[in-house]
Amino acid sequence: MIFDIAPTAPTPIYRQIVEQVRRMIASGQLKPGDDLPSVRAVAMHHAINPMTVSKAYSMLETEGLLERLRGVGMAVAGNSGKSTRHDKAAMLRPALETAARTVRQLGFSDAEAQALFQTCLNELTKKERHD
Amino acid sequence: MTEYAITADHLRLRPHDSSVYALDDVSLRIPAGAVVGLVGRNGAGKSSLLRCLVGLTEPQHGSAMLLDCPALALDDATRERIGYAPQLPDLFPWMNGYEHLRTIGRAYTRWNEDRALTLAVQLNLPLGIKADKLSGGDQQKLSLVLALAHDPDLLLLDEPMSSLDPLTRRDFMRAMFSAPFRSDTAPGTSRERTIIISSHILSDLERLVSHVAFMRDGRLQVVDSWDAMLEHFRVIPSDSPDVAADAVIHRNKRDAQLLVDTRHAPSWRDAGRALTLDELFMELNT
Repeated sequence: MIFDIAPTAPTPIYRQIVEQVRRMIASGQLKPGDDLPSVRAVAMHHAINPMTVSKAYSMLETEGLLERLRGVGMAVAGNSGKSTRHDKAAMLRPALETAARTVRQLGFSDAEAQALFQTCLNELTKKERHD
Repeated sequence: MTEYAITADHLRLRPHDSSVYALDDVSLRIPAGAVVGLVGRNGAGKSSLLRCLVGLTEPQHGSAMLLDCPALALDDATRERIGYAPQLPDLFPWMNGYEHLRTIGRAYTRWNEDRALTLAVQLNLPLGIKADKLSGGDQQKLSLVLALAHDPDLLLLDEPMSSLDPLTRRDFMRAMFSAPFRSDTAPGTSRERTIIISSHILSDLERLVSHVAFMRDGRLQVVDSWDAMLEHFRVIPSDSPDVAADAVIHRNKRDAQLLVDTRHAPSWRDAGRALTLDELFMELNT
């Protein structure tokens, strides 16, 4: 299945799903009209409580990102395609804030941390070229 | 549909040969459809609680109801909707799996032999071997198949997976939620299953539970939704200011820290981080 779930992570499982779907829609990986796997399919694949998946999907539906198609299940809503730079920045912040805290705890200077981050980005680019 | 699948009121249980209460004023309300993890050290009272809920043990004080029926006077209609697996499988030693299914199946109208056989295959359980010749793990699997085969609305499981390997546990966790012979899209079949499961394998529980109940020394320490615990329970130093008494869930004297509910101590909302079930368990038992 398309979700990457870590049940012992501090983030509740439903929130992990919500954030992943948001990111995939923002990046265009999921396009308007695309079907999402059924609640049951996700629950069975990951051996988790179906209610957790259901909760995530309901939240995304309330947000307007997903819509329920009768007889089919959940699909990406028609108007959710355009994610502004602002929305995307809001999605990136939590990961960067966590990294920033780690930088301070370990006593790196801002310059050292930024250099390390650039290295990580470069490594990703290199890997993407190879794939 | 009943609002609470399980209610317990002020249960008190003291075994005859003991001066200690196995259950000390335990009250509980479990909404229908909840999946409750019952967590605590050995001897905390988890099995005693489950036995009182299911009506196998009579408490000295207090009462319990399952699906709106008194635990000590379950009628047949209600009994058919309940599945229970005790900590030590309670099997007939001279019967094999098929014989168990046939004998016990007769007592239930919703018994589905195909479902039972499918589950046995999924769990890799040999059905032709006499129970007393089965390994501990296979005995446990048979016990679970028997608890699930009649598609119960309420499942009470006492450390059901302690002898199972990780792959089998995954298969069982999937089976706990599935109803292979009930159409999921048919109208009116949103019959949710309520589950209460005690286990030491906390990583398993984290995948499954909607609620967690922590027990220690016969008492319930805290019961709440798992999502709420992740979002609101935090560990802070003992000498922290601005902490209302009702925000403190547990004092850890050894490490000089408090487990607080930040809904009652909002200034600490962004302190620290969410705790895993393992960490919460350690904290509550220190």
